[in-house]
Amino acid sequence: MRRIILSVTVALVAGIAGNVTAQDTATYFKQNCVSCHTIGGGRLTGPDLKGVTQRKDRDWLQAFILNPQSKITAGDPYALKLVEEARGVVMPPAPGISAERAGLLLDLIEAESALEVSQFRGVQVSSAPFTPVDVERGLALFRGTQPLKNGGPACISCHSAAGVGGLGGGKLAPDLMRVYERLQGRAGLSAWLAAPGTVTMRAVYEKHPLDEKEIHSLVAFFEKQSMAGTQRVAASQLNFLLCGLGGAVLGLVLLDTIWRGRLRGVRRSLTQEQSSRGKS
Amino acid sequence: MTTLNQFLNVILFMALPYVVAVTFLLVSIYRYRTQPFTYSSLSSQFLENKSHFWALVPFHYGIILVLAGHFLAFFIPRGVLAWNSVPLRLYALEITGLALGVMTIVGLIAGLVRRFTTPQLRMVTSPLDWTLYGLLVTQVLTGIGVAVMYPWGSSWFAATMTPYLWSIVKFSPDTSYVAGLPWLVKAHILNAYVLLWVWPFTRLAHVLVVPNPYLWRRTQVVRWNSVTETKAR
Repeated sequence: MRRIILSVTVALVAGIAGNVTAQDTATYFKQNCVSCHTIGGGRLTGPDLKGVTQRKDRDWLQAFILNPQSKITAGDPYALKLVEEARGVVMPPAPGISAERAGLLLDLIEAESALEVSQFRGVQVSSAPFTPVDVERGLALFRGTQPLKNGGPACISCHSAAGVGGLGGGKLAPDLMRVYERLQGRAGLSAWLAAPGTVTMRAVYEKHPLDEKEIHSLVAFFEKQSMAGTQRVAASQLNFLLCGLGGAVLGLVLLDTIWRGRLRGVRRSLTQEQSSRGKS
Repeated sequence: MTTLNQFLNVILFMALPYVVAVTFLLVSIYRYRTQPFTYSSLSSQFLENKSHFWALVPFHYGIILVLAGHFLAFFIPRGVLAWNSVPLRLYALEITGLALGVMTIVGLIAGLVRRFTTPQLRMVTSPLDWTLYGLLVTQVLTGIGVAVMYPWGSSWFAATMTPYLWSIVKFSPDTSYVAGLPWLVKAHILNAYVLLWVWPFTRLAHVLVVPNPYLWRRTQVVRWNSVTETKAR
């Protein structure tokens, strides 16, 4: 039995490793990099990667891709400059990254940089001001009153923001009140929404992507949030807990009422009689 | 660290569910065929019935309805998300779920207190029963913790846990849905696997043989038929 379990586990581990290697580099870049980087489309949260191999040598870049944090911790001046330019956002380690994968990614970036227009130039965002209708629609998408076209869950499932409802939004993921600033405006936020960069969001929205109109409306909503400067409502979690406790008390009272005619004394007298017999 | 995390994800969220499923099936069938009379949860009502009600009733109604919620989100995730598309309905569902979770823990604690404080009951409680109590308390407490710390679970369960669990059922496990979840949520999932794993060895086996026809069969009159009873009349 132990042997079977061991071989199943080894097969599963090998299966995953095989999947990662076989994955196409361009698809990998699309799934893991475009939420923060473009190639020739300008800066998002991270720098524009066009010609990056000419700005810095390949060995350094490969080591940085493999473990961004270690370069920063070591006090590497170029890595610190990158963090400063990204307003303190540190590049997360890419899932399933290996030296081979990092090399392939650098090859891809080099090849795409040589093109006049790269497929990774990013989402083209208009700079026209948002209308109140955009903001309203964004709020409806956030709360879920207007469902997402491709069937993805509404933002409120995991995120909170100001003015979304009595008990607020979800707390599984970060509060989005300041997300517009955090992702450095329209371009960064739109790129993120088109290809979310966190493990969970990527898994959920890969099969249910947001469409361009939805991204536009959500960005409008987040821009408004950021400008309004509203404060986070911390009481909602406590209110939720109190409501739950109140509900439980009501439930217990209800059960007591439904079974008000339950047997209370018959067996007790029988057991008492039995135990007194045992003693004597 | 990342490699260790990936390895743990594979072991705990990919391999473990299959080990649990195989154990559950084989042991359940084996026990039913070889020891049919142990296939129950022995009633302890005759030993004490003062606090029995508060242990039995809130626990069972709470856990059955909370589990029904989990099953609904597993089988009709679109329906749950559609229900939750109106914030007021989402809040009502979540408050109901939390209230039922609290009722479940009230019942469990009442049960534990009852077993600790009644000597006759302690006598008939095996180490396996105590282990089961420990696992159940952990499961319900982490569940309540998840509900309060990481709302709104009814929605994100439908979006993350449902596809993850279906990927297990379809033999193409995809842990990316759960890999990034907070440790409390992972603890709730793992403890559920452990519970399912010990299930067929413990009194939980009674859930598989619930006498459902009792719900609609005609009532039966039970009479004492001993000599003393007859004389007393």
